[in-house]
Amino acid sequence: MDVLSFASTALLALFVVGYLVLAGSDIGLGMLMPHVARGPAQRRRVVSAIAPYFLASEVWLVAAVGVLAGLFPLLEHHVVAELRPVLAAMLAAWLVRDAGLWLRARVAGPRWRLGCDAAIVAGSWTVAATWGLTVAGMLTGGLTASAFTVLCTAVVMALFALRGAAFGAERLVGPADAESADVAARVTRPLSRAALGATVLAAAAALLPGGPELSSAAPAVILAVVLAGALAATSGLVGPMLSRHTSALAIAVPGLLVAVAAQLPWAPVPAGTGVFVWVTLLPAIPVMLIGQVWLYRMTRRPAVEATFFA
Amino acid sequence: MLEDPLLLARLQFALTAATHYMFVALTLGLAPYILTTQFLAALRGDRSRMTAVRFWGGLYLVNYGMGILSGLVMELQLALNWSGLHEMFGYTFAAPLALETMTAFFVESTFLGLWIFGWDRMGRWAHLACFAVVTATAYASAWWVLVSNGFLRNPTGFEMVDGVAHLTDPVALMTNPAATMAFGHVVSGAMTVGALVVAATSAYHLVRRDDPHGIFRRGIRYAAIVMAVMPMFVVTFGGVQFGLFGEAPPTSGLTYTAEEIAAIEAASPGGPLLNGVNATADGVMMSMWAVLFFLGPVMLLVWPFGGLDRWRWFLAPLVVTPFAPYLASVGGWVFRETNRQPWTVVHHLTTADAVTPMTPVAAVASFAFFTVAFAVLAAVTYWLLVRYARRGPGGGPLAERREEEPAELADPVHTF
Repeated sequence: MDVLSFASTALLALFVVGYLVLAGSDIGLGMLMPHVARGPAQRRRVVSAIAPYFLASEVWLVAAVGVLAGLFPLLEHHVVAELRPVLAAMLAAWLVRDAGLWLRARVAGPRWRLGCDAAIVAGSWTVAATWGLTVAGMLTGGLTASAFTVLCTAVVMALFALRGAAFGAERLVGPADAESADVAARVTRPLSRAALGATVLAAAAALLPGGPELSSAAPAVILAVVLAGALAATSGLVGPMLSRHTSALAIAVPGLLVAVAAQLPWAPVPAGTGVFVWVTLLPAIPVMLIGQVWLYRMTRRPAVEATFFA
Repeated sequence: MLEDPLLLARLQFALTAATHYMFVALTLGLAPYILTTQFLAALRGDRSRMTAVRFWGGLYLVNYGMGILSGLVMELQLALNWSGLHEMFGYTFAAPLALETMTAFFVESTFLGLWIFGWDRMGRWAHLACFAVVTATAYASAWWVLVSNGFLRNPTGFEMVDGVAHLTDPVALMTNPAATMAFGHVVSGAMTVGALVVAATSAYHLVRRDDPHGIFRRGIRYAAIVMAVMPMFVVTFGGVQFGLFGEAPPTSGLTYTAEEIAAIEAASPGGPLLNGVNATADGVMMSMWAVLFFLGPVMLLVWPFGGLDRWRWFLAPLVVTPFAPYLASVGGWVFRETNRQPWTVVHHLTTADAVTPMTPVAAVASFAFFTVAFAVLAAVTYWLLVRYARRGPGGGPLAERREEEPAELADPVHTF
């Protein structure tokens, strides 16, 4: 593999894993909103924790789609051909969720807010579910009606929810509604137990017919062990304390699994396009990083006052 | 008609692109005005200008939200519905789009977040710098998208390797006249959209003599100047592009021979629907620009007499003028895109070959969902924009003091 192709593949994997880790937080918290937030004031706090994050996290997926289309058209063709209905559903859910986030604070009525909150919750659940189906479909080489597909989807959804719970435990801390953060922290343990159970079952189902067709088994086994270890650590008494890091590690695993172990059509990036894209991209990378780090640092605590989103 | 996935995919793309562009045009048109106003406000420590930034910025964000939503659908559906195009021209057509997602949109969305949440958390110059980055990347985004779009019209700078286009000359791709001229056309057109939205909002409040901060007095003067200058650029950049029509792209012959191209074009004359749409779009675009061409000079003419501030009969009709550049923009895009038919990539790939093979059920389902969702979201955004524009600087989404809503009051705390 030449340098350009390797760097481009790593870039694609970085964008997907970065998306799962960062957007996992705000999508997962969106899934858990009915559980952690009681009443309009707490729901507003949840949305104001999500709002700065989703602006800076969904761009990772947009960039991944761009890299896929521009540098790996063969892979893109495969993914679209195999998973078109799932991806269309993901796009629809993404649209519904973002519409809820953008429009929530625009009208003061309680019914409008409730409608937007419902869009955020339903959109978050559907995005997580379609990501589960996408990961399963990439591993099995196309959507298959098998136990593995169901269990893999369950694992990914649980990982999204766990990431959201860890995020909520950290960001919902506040004097007025501290219980939101506590509820989120408490739910990390049952969620990691559920995810661990589903992971073990999915690993067993992988050996049945309709399971994944992997290019190499060893990295897949290592990654599965890492995932199980991270989840096991979070299931214990110190789980809520560790969950911030373990949930990030856990949700990165499905992305890495697809990147290193799935059988995907891959072609080296032609030099003309590769050089053009990388030469133009390199000067922009510092600006991209500065923006991300600055926004995440600046909004560590959710805004107490009303902002544009909530 | 509903059984044809190709027609549905094309209609869906046309509707998505037209909706997306309306919000993009206002984004591009308002950003430089907000940036300039914020620069002056920061420079002079001018509170009334900062109020103006919060007011126009609020409209900008409401509009931008819908721009993002439609842009996401736009990018994803291009991948989902047009896989033939990506298969053959991924390395050339989609490479600028990849750069758009990474170097423009990625940065734009992040820095817009910094701008929204940074009002009270950073210094005024840092805050201004965030919006400068937002403005620059919004234009960079338009540039990359038009490089991709210009490639479809005038494919250049590549060689065919086993039926896949490989980029050989990025400079030719970037200096493609079909892209650079279109960029000039789109930017100047977007500036008129922004100027007339500012003019309409200002006129609405000036008619009511409601301008305590001088926001609308300055706004209508800005609009008069932009409207006196920009339509000339719009017409010039647009007119130059007519010269490209009918011309064979430099790469013609790499995929099909001249005889095959003639046969493909003869086999699909377009039909009455396509030709009718094309002619209507052309007529709408031309007549709207003819009207807009005179608006700016007339505004300049009444300026010395105080007409821009006082003449209610002159100001009142300005409230509806934004419809003209919007109609012209959508007409212009429909004209440009239908003119390319039967090709997606001129002389290389027909539209019928570019579309993803879909079952009619899947095509109908995705068409129905996204059309209805877009109609609802665009209508809500339009309603919100008009509502916030009417409320004025006191009631905007970024306004400094917001009334606490009764439902969200903090729980009562015992004081004993």
